[in-house]
Amino acid sequence: MHIPDFMFPVAQGLVYWVIALIFIVLALRWARHSMGEEKVPLVAVLAAGIFAIQALNIPIPWGTSGHMVGAALAAIVLGSPFAGVFVLTLVLLVQGVIFGDGGIIAMGANIINMGVIGGFVGYYSYTAITSMTGNSYAAAFVAGWASLFISAILCAVELAIAGTFPLVAGLTFMGTYHAVIGLIEGGITAFALYLIASARPDILEHPRGVST
Amino acid sequence: METKQFVMIGIAIALVIAVAAPFLASGNPDGLESAFFSIHDAKPFMGSDLDEEAAAAAEEQAVAATGNEFSFEALMPDYSIPGLDKTGEVLAVVLGTLLMLALVYGIARVAARPDN
Repeated sequence: MHIPDFMFPVAQGLVYWVIALIFIVLALRWARHSMGEEKVPLVAVLAAGIFAIQALNIPIPWGTSGHMVGAALAAIVLGSPFAGVFVLTLVLLVQGVIFGDGGIIAMGANIINMGVIGGFVGYYSYTAITSMTGNSYAAAFVAGWASLFISAILCAVELAIAGTFPLVAGLTFMGTYHAVIGLIEGGITAFALYLIASARPDILEHPRGVST
Repeated sequence: METKQFVMIGIAIALVIAVAAPFLASGNPDGLESAFFSIHDAKPFMGSDLDEEAAAAAEEQAVAATGNEFSFEALMPDYSIPGLDKTGEVLAVVLGTLLMLALVYGIARVAARPDN
């Protein structure tokens, strides 16, 4: 869902950059207050793993493919939506600058869609569903799915404002493809959470099965 | 599990994915590209045939609509190293993964809450 530069007018891109920068500052404040030094290696490994798995496009029907974004996973594991912003900002920065994946002017929008929306929707749907059902893996699956789907819906709205898509067609197409790609996001989020919780239950900010 | 061991296994998993990705990844357009091509009649909504000419025309049309002609030569465009085929793709994703590891470690170290 990386928006390339040609799909976005410069002025609109700069507006989203300003909004993104506000969230980046808030994410740095979160790190200063809540990301202990002992979490640093985990954050680095999570970011590296998210970068690698983003390169793995999985085919879905209709000649299309999709990949994991990972903001929901980062937010769940590190216990804050801002962790999703922190990790995804750095992933998107490297992808855009070194690999030409996602635009530079459009990077602010990509940070908002994948980092901010992914992190916030992922984190709060995870905590809400975990406390309602007590099943953190089901919650992680739904949180991953919702984080990707809502990101795609917002992306369609932004591209409609940009004049790249008509709104209704954009929502229909983006919604349909990403409703399926969301299953990949949900599945890998739940599986990765299971692996991390099995290896190091103490490392999670909200241990599985414990409501918040 | 010791933290060191946990981190090493994490790095190993990331590198295994990085090496495998160029061989396993689907070359199909992603959700956003598919939507863009379908809306501009370069690809059927529920079909897989991509009309390259119409896709290129759609891109030109979008540039005209947004007026954004910004572009630059990325160092490793589309996770590849020019002239190195599959080896280059593997190298690109592996180098990217290692760069992420180092960059995020450095930034997270500076940004983290000091323990003392």
